[in-house]
Amino acid sequence: MKRDDFLFEIRTEEIPAATLAGARQDLARGIGDVLSQEGIGAESIESYGTPRRLAVWARGIPERQSDRESEVLGPAASAAFGPDGKPTRAAEGFAKAQKVDVSELEVVDSPRGRTVAVRRRVPGRDAIDVLAKVVPRVVGELTFPKTMRWGAGDRSFVRPVRGLLALYGGRVVPMEILGVRAADWTVGHRVLSDGKLTVTGPADYFQKLRGAYVEPDAEARRVAILDSARRLAAQAGGSIDADSDLAAVLADLVEWPGLVRGSFDPQFLDLPEEITTTAMRVHQKFLPVRGATGLLPHFIAVMDNADDRRGFIAKGNEWVLNARLADARFFFREDSRESLKSRLPELERLTFQDRLGSYGAKTARLEELAATIAEAVGRGEIVLEVRTAARLSKADLVTRMVREFTDLQGVMGGLYARAEGLPEPVWKAIADQYRPQGQGDDPPRDAAGAVLSLADRFDTLAGIFRIGLLPTGSKDPYGLRRAAAGAVAIAVSRAWRVDWSGVARKAISLYPADLPGLGEAEALAELEKFFAERLRNSLERAGSSYDEISAVLNVKVWDFTDAAERAAALTEARRRLDFRALVLAFKRIRNILGTEQLEDPSPGFYREDAERALAADFLQARALLEELVPARRYPEALETIASISPSLDRFFVEVLVNCPEEDLKRNRHALLGTIRKEFTRIADFSEIVVEK
Amino acid sequence: MSRKRWGKLSTMLTLQRLIAELCAFWESEGCLIEQPYDGPVGAGTMHPATFLKVLGPDPWRCAYVQPSRRPADGRYGQNPFRLAKHFQLQVILKPSPDDVQEVFLRSLERLGIAAAEHDIRFEEDNWESPTLGAWGVGWQVVMDGMEITQFTYFQQAGGIDLSPISAEITYGLERIAMFLNKVDSIYDVPWNESLTYGQIRRVEEEELSRYYFEVADAGFATLLLDRWEAEAKNALAAGLVIPAYEATLVCSHQFNVLDARGAVSATDRVGLIRRVRDLACACARAYVSTRGGVPVAVTEPEPATAV
Repeated sequence: MKRDDFLFEIRTEEIPAATLAGARQDLARGIGDVLSQEGIGAESIESYGTPRRLAVWARGIPERQSDRESEVLGPAASAAFGPDGKPTRAAEGFAKAQKVDVSELEVVDSPRGRTVAVRRRVPGRDAIDVLAKVVPRVVGELTFPKTMRWGAGDRSFVRPVRGLLALYGGRVVPMEILGVRAADWTVGHRVLSDGKLTVTGPADYFQKLRGAYVEPDAEARRVAILDSARRLAAQAGGSIDADSDLAAVLADLVEWPGLVRGSFDPQFLDLPEEITTTAMRVHQKFLPVRGATGLLPHFIAVMDNADDRRGFIAKGNEWVLNARLADARFFFREDSRESLKSRLPELERLTFQDRLGSYGAKTARLEELAATIAEAVGRGEIVLEVRTAARLSKADLVTRMVREFTDLQGVMGGLYARAEGLPEPVWKAIADQYRPQGQGDDPPRDAAGAVLSLADRFDTLAGIFRIGLLPTGSKDPYGLRRAAAGAVAIAVSRAWRVDWSGVARKAISLYPADLPGLGEAEALAELEKFFAERLRNSLERAGSSYDEISAVLNVKVWDFTDAAERAAALTEARRRLDFRALVLAFKRIRNILGTEQLEDPSPGFYREDAERALAADFLQARALLEELVPARRYPEALETIASISPSLDRFFVEVLVNCPEEDLKRNRHALLGTIRKEFTRIADFSEIVVEK
Repeated sequence: MSRKRWGKLSTMLTLQRLIAELCAFWESEGCLIEQPYDGPVGAGTMHPATFLKVLGPDPWRCAYVQPSRRPADGRYGQNPFRLAKHFQLQVILKPSPDDVQEVFLRSLERLGIAAAEHDIRFEEDNWESPTLGAWGVGWQVVMDGMEITQFTYFQQAGGIDLSPISAEITYGLERIAMFLNKVDSIYDVPWNESLTYGQIRRVEEEELSRYYFEVADAGFATLLLDRWEAEAKNALAAGLVIPAYEATLVCSHQFNVLDARGAVSATDRVGLIRRVRDLACACARAYVSTRGGVPVAVTEPEPATAV
């Protein structure tokens, strides 16, 4: 069948950069899926888009759906025809309801036996008609973090919709979306081009857009930005930091990325580098330029323009950056006049969370919790410095610098604490308290920083869980997932072996007991589930499979380091050892035992050889495990556990567990129960998936 | 400094010229030129010409300058970017027209800014005012790296979903004047051909800062807030929406005074904001129920051709 391309573009006012990539993908996937469902799947789907347009190019869509046969079943054949073969009233009624002549009824084999049926040929619809019907639906089903209304206020989308292009095989697909009718034209860059661009098809679309200063391919824009930025940096004798995130954001802020290099007053190179680069990257979205020995007084800015003929753009950006840096220097000097300690009273007026009180209250909790954690991880000697760091940790939130440059929270506290002459472990802990910021970010450098970061995370998690504001779906306004994942990462990277449930309980208890929301026990249970999920993600990244992780977490969640080691050992052991028999035996034990209460087995009730052999092997293995498990020699422990599977197998072959003699049966259950209990200290093998 | 860039404008772009040009432009777009609200407010949005007029079904187009007072932003006249009081030029277009962004760009042209020679971007920046029970979606307009304007599609005001939707364009006049004149301090902005912003306003900034940070009587502000809250309710009970709303604005300002004085604790803050918001929402409801249903006489602006 003939195939043709579908080109679709929905033009809007500027879509937020953070939303754009997802919207592009969702639209392309939505259209691809619905075309497949309609039986006219495209050969390929590509997504395009700029802040002012989302576009999809679906190649090779068949021009028609195939015809199909529809069959409507009626009464049973025996009821539809009399002995003489003549149609009964039932057949006539059915034919009438189906608007066919009785002679057109057929008899078919159906699940109900021989049945009367009407068969019709349903002709396929033209692709263009299908597209006209389903594409508006796909657009209507797109979801965004925030939508808005405009004009008359009767429609909503991520931003106001201003135009629509829909072409199939060069013909306009008639449709209307959010009050805008599809046409065969688009527009170019808002200020660099003028008027309508009539489009005949995809190739023409791309050519005309590029001629009108619009690069519809986000990846092409990103690559162009990085290439030009490297070139411009090299011309200034430097290089740019590898930062594909910022390049991707910049690519989604412009339709036609041009780059300019600017300079700032070299006197600002005296400022701490964290401040200068934050002003450039976070506030102005500039790429800093770095030389062999440090920052150079240059930056690279992306503009939505082809060039800067009159130099206005470079000059403007230079002026803004110099002003920002002057501002930052002013803040830095002003802030330095006051000690962090003297700012503490102000924290009483800074809200941490409406129902959880001020940062002053949080600071008091942090001090207690950090001390608890320092003791728990066996670093009692750092309690004093950890307490000092905790007490001062939030003071930078009320400095001018952090009020203005919020990304510098922690970092500024560290810089100010250092300038005040506080001990190195203290200022480093303050500086590192928000690390790791996300996956791939470094944890705090020192133990004190790790303790403080953990305390902050546990405090926030405990408080928000207590008032019942658990994250749901994509909504996680307090960043709790990241907080918990960071806590896991810190504990594991430090190899701290702690039962964190004690710390979590302490964190919960530091809040007023009468907070409305979840009870303390309920909050703790929810926290355990929440940490288990974070731990699961971390273990998956480390290479363990889903079932291995379940096996490990079923045993215990709250010691993250231990769980990681058990998972690593199990994943590694499964490559070397055959656990299949053991796993099947454990699944069998689980099925036999259920949840009954068991006593210890007694040798007096052993009757069969296989039974005695299993008991003997078990006792031998248990003696070994008692050495290996507490020493966390998990690989050897797993070998020991695996070594018992031949005698388990033999036991199940030769011994009837649920025998008629009640005392023998009870003792056999007891033996299996003891084995399960002792051998499930590393992993719950019954969770492992094996082929039967 | 070369003044060539201002194109047709032969004179320097003083603050007063900037205001005159923008008002003339928006007048040509069919806007009624309102006068500033005659009491202290934090932003042009609080002017009844915005807050009340965006409610209800009637079309409305206006522009005005609003002195905007934010006690906590005072810097004793020392900081080159911050002021306890600054000037906003506020534009309301209700309903928001389809070509609102293009019209805005033309307003820049009026100031001698040719968009093609600059980098002009609309970057996401949503707006929310907890004290007004209002929020909107929009952008900050960034020109050559500088935020020059806030652009908002109002979605809700006084807790009421709006329909039709108004577009609000708020020019930060000092910022634009600083940027266009490439001066490094607000106080160096030329107000007219001979006087600077500093000559006109620096002493006022010093005094306002000292007053709000050091002198203002928190007890008095609390008392005023309480009394004006009661007064707002009093006026509402008498069916007087505008006096009630004016009383609400006093409460909002007194809250800002208390905040700058450091007299608002974390727990107080939530309650105080709620009290002001409750008043604002009550005013909005009263306004809609008394006026929203019956179209009042508002002249539909004629779309004027460019001057």
